Amino acid sequence: MNVLSCSINTLNGLYDLSGVEVGQHFYWKIGGFQVHGQVLITSWVVIAILLGSATLAVRNPQTIPTGGQNFFEYVLEFIRDVSKTQIGEEYGPWVPFIGTMFLFIFVSNWSGALLPWKIIQLPHGELAAPTNDINTTVALALLTSVAYFYAGLNKKGLGYFGKYIQPTPILLPINILEDFTKPLSLSFRLFGNILADELVVVVLVSLVPSVVPIPVMFLGLFTSGIQALIFATLAAAYIGESMEGHH
Amino acid sequence: MANMIMASSKTLITSPPTPKSNPQPPPQPSLSLPAIPTTKPLFSLSITPKTLATAAAVAASIAATPLPSLAEEFEKAQLFDFDLTLPIIAAEFLFLMFTLDKLYYSPLGNFMDKRDAEIKEKLSSVKDTSTEVKALEEQAAAIMRAARAEISAALNKMKKETAAEVDAKLAEGRKKVEAELQEALASLEKQKEETIKSLDSQIAALSQEIVNKVLPVK
Repeated sequence: MNVLSCSINTLNGLYDLSGVEVGQHFYWKIGGFQVHGQVLITSWVVIAILLGSATLAVRNPQTIPTGGQNFFEYVLEFIRDVSKTQIGEEYGPWVPFIGTMFLFIFVSNWSGALLPWKIIQLPHGELAAPTNDINTTVALALLTSVAYFYAGLNKKGLGYFGKYIQPTPILLPINILEDFTKPLSLSFRLFGNILADELVVVVLVSLVPSVVPIPVMFLGLFTSGIQALIFATLAAAYIGESMEGHH
Repeated sequence: MANMIMASSKTLITSPPTPKSNPQPPPQPSLSLPAIPTTKPLFSLSITPKTLATAAAVAASIAATPLPSLAEEFEKAQLFDFDLTLPIIAAEFLFLMFTLDKLYYSPLGNFMDKRDAEIKEKLSSVKDTSTEVKALEEQAAAIMRAARAEISAALNKMKKETAAEVDAKLAEGRKKVEAELQEALASLEKQKEETIKSLDSQIAALSQEIVNKVLPVK
């Protein structure tokens, strides 16, 4: 018993060092509602990074691109490619949505892994990737749902709802269920991956403070990028699916 | 450690608004109703050295008590805590989408499309000039061929002319030489005949003389 408590003491010390705070929020109050301040702060930083870099790089486009412009052209080509593959020829209007989805999630994830948020002490909770919070991922997933409903209704009018009894009316419940599972899986996949990644890194750091966590951190960077790509690709796929015709 | 991890993973599963039945209040003084969300969480993992002793007591009680009570300890840590953050993030996303569209996607996309079109146009125009160049090259080759033919024709003509001239001169010279030869031969013949004739007369005289000398009959 004594030994156990001692070890737990030292572990507490380590936790103090690494500061695991899961599900702790830095609450703000806005008009009687609560918001998670840490999520909003980091999301503002992410938005500022995106807008700032895009403005700097695209301010004065050159015919022969250099440096930043080259990179942003590559990113835009990549986004267009993803949208085109998933949506088809009418991908044009959806590039901003898919692109922002990808860039916001990607920069959020990487900011959680690369920016030293933990240096800034909050009275409560801690700064981390915005995608570390279920509110963010659910917001993005719901926007995706709205987007694909809008895409379908815009393209086919009320005939869009005909897809619920395709290929046979027996599948109606499953087709309706799909509309709920899509945002659910989208949001929980992203949330779970990012949270788990940060937790793994923090726990490893608390166990072995040097060298060993580094591969896991790199793995975290990799999964973060993959998650952003998956989210954007799936969003595009859902939009494309609701736009394609069932004849 | 295992306990701690179990405990923190427990928070993932617990639903926030479970009622609290807490018989023995461990060190945390701010243990209050769960309905008030602004209260400090029950379990803050950043523990100062001062509270280490109390933490030890907590740890002891944690180790002693079964897991469900642990879950209660961590209850305030809310992972699935939906609030106004969600619509705010959605609004921020929409704002970011429109702003990035104005700043990035549309301008750079249009720019790239325009450049692509320009490059394609230039490429096709370059292809056109290449046919032009081919035609010009052919023309040049034709001119060269014509010039070569002309030159060779002129050369041939000249060769023929000079050959004819040379032949004519040669024939003339040969004729002259033949004529001279003929003349010389003719004169030689004449001389020969003359000498033969003169020799004949001399022979007659000599033979007469020989006869006269041999036959002195008279």
